[in-house]
Amino acid sequence: MIRIASLLLILIGLYGIFSTRNIIKILIGINIMELGVNIFIITVGFVKDGLAPILSPDSLSSALNYVDPLAQALVLTSIVIGLGITALGLVFARKIHAKYGTYDLNKAGGGEDA
Amino acid sequence: MLNPVLTIAIPLGLSFLSVILKKKRGWVLLAAACANVVMLFFLEKGEVVIGGFRAPFGINLILDAYALAGMAVAGTLFLAAVLVSRDKAERFSTVLLAALAGINGMLLTGDLFNLFVFMEITAISAYLLSSAGKKPEHSFNYLVLGSVGSVFYLLGLILLYSMTGTLNMAEMSRLAGSMEPAALAVPVFLIFTGIAVEAKLIPAGGWVRGVLGNSDSLTGALFASVYSGAALFVFGRIFADVLLSEGAVQIVLILLGLLTFAFGEAAAFRQTSIRRILLYSSIGQSGLAAMLFATGLIFPAVLVIISNSVSKFVMFTTAGKITEIHGTDDYRELGGLFRGNRLIGTAFTISALSLTGIPLLFGFYAKLNVLAAYFNGRNYFLPAVILILAMVEGAYFIRLLIRLWTPGKEGEEPDAGAATKGTGLFKPVGAAVVFILSMAILAAGLLPDHAGEFISSDGGLPGGDAPSINLSLTKGGQ
Repeated sequence: MIRIASLLLILIGLYGIFSTRNIIKILIGINIMELGVNIFIITVGFVKDGLAPILSPDSLSSALNYVDPLAQALVLTSIVIGLGITALGLVFARKIHAKYGTYDLNKAGGGEDA
Repeated sequence: MLNPVLTIAIPLGLSFLSVILKKKRGWVLLAAACANVVMLFFLEKGEVVIGGFRAPFGINLILDAYALAGMAVAGTLFLAAVLVSRDKAERFSTVLLAALAGINGMLLTGDLFNLFVFMEITAISAYLLSSAGKKPEHSFNYLVLGSVGSVFYLLGLILLYSMTGTLNMAEMSRLAGSMEPAALAVPVFLIFTGIAVEAKLIPAGGWVRGVLGNSDSLTGALFASVYSGAALFVFGRIFADVLLSEGAVQIVLILLGLLTFAFGEAAAFRQTSIRRILLYSSIGQSGLAAMLFATGLIFPAVLVIISNSVSKFVMFTTAGKITEIHGTDDYRELGGLFRGNRLIGTAFTISALSLTGIPLLFGFYAKLNVLAAYFNGRNYFLPAVILILAMVEGAYFIRLLIRLWTPGKEGEEPDAGAATKGTGLFKPVGAAVVFILSMAILAAGLLPDHAGEFISSDGGLPGGDAPSINLSLTKGGQ
């Protein structure tokens, strides 16, 4: 269920990116897409009634039902990268606005010749 | 012998240091680029375990002949780019150092998620570099395509992880080999789209026109040779080593490569701006290399990448400088330009002729290998297409060269044209670097067997749990 929802989020993000020429909305689309992928990754590592993958007095045996920690580690990295990309995208958005006075890529001359 | 991890750690460390050493950052960059090339001679081949967890549980680095060839191409051209445009490179010292670390990491890593991280480091530095073109909308375009590509890559990667339970390349290659090819189709295409952004292949190469069409002597050379060379090496690692495709999936991958090749060459033919000609020709060559990798012809593909990277480096730096000095790169207005710049003109000509596959130059050896490899495999359709497209390529490059060497129309008295103004396109160091690279193309073309041996020098690996690319074994026909 959550997995389908996350795939849906990716598609919504993708639609958002390619259906608008507004820079800020495109960045929001990218973020929705990344969110979808991150949720998808978490669902891959999810185990029903799973324990946190930490050895503690309550769960000493490695044969217990652990949640896959690798997926969570991947998501952490992916969130950080997403943050960096968004920040950089906003910098470019500011630069475009400073140069053309608009957040619309069509008006900023992104479409036509160099 | 040095640990290969140093080629990632040193540039990354210096990248942070260069923020503090604001005044000296140009020297830091130069020192790191030189050290990177020198280190290549002393690296210890084989597998490096990071953090004490052995593969497939931990992340490992693999230095085989393939990775070394990639690092040698990228590292040498990186150093050359820094030498040629030192003033421009100095502004981007921090970014460039991070890029160097990312590129080395991309080529070395033996883990698919680690590859994703290094690709992102490289990509973010590339977005920043592209903003040097003063066209933020193109950088933004590039960023959007890049992040969509990386989301696709991540999705494909995680699908593979959920199917095989590993992210290690060698382990993945072993497990994927025993799976149904149809089950791999979705992740393979997702990963393909992700890498296609950097490798400039057809579904995702839309940023190239804006970014490379406005490149200067530094960014043009970096994007067209260093970045794209490294991205293609990664493409080969994944699609010719880790995820071997067969049947319909392989045919689609080959067709996408072929389509990119044909589109690039056809589009280049119609351009009049030198940089546009070069960028479409680069797209075409990337398509050719991707096609070869998808067919499993690793050695010819590596030759194509090397030949293209070196030639494009010379040509893009020259085109960038021409634009800076003359304010245009429309070759119709630059008739006779090379008469005043004979040295650079010769270098440019050698590079262009090598790309078109004129005998005695390195590009000829690369093309010959490609064709021989296909003929050995009893494949006659693809070589025919390659030869036809090579003729198109020859036509537009020779048209360009004739114009750049001869002012005026045929039969008319030559006016001085562009020859009089702007002699000395480069500073002496830059001219020397460009000329030496073109001489390397010539030398490698005259002694092709030595060049081939040099590239594929033995990369035997200890242990069985490393990816299996070993250039000396997969050498095509010569």
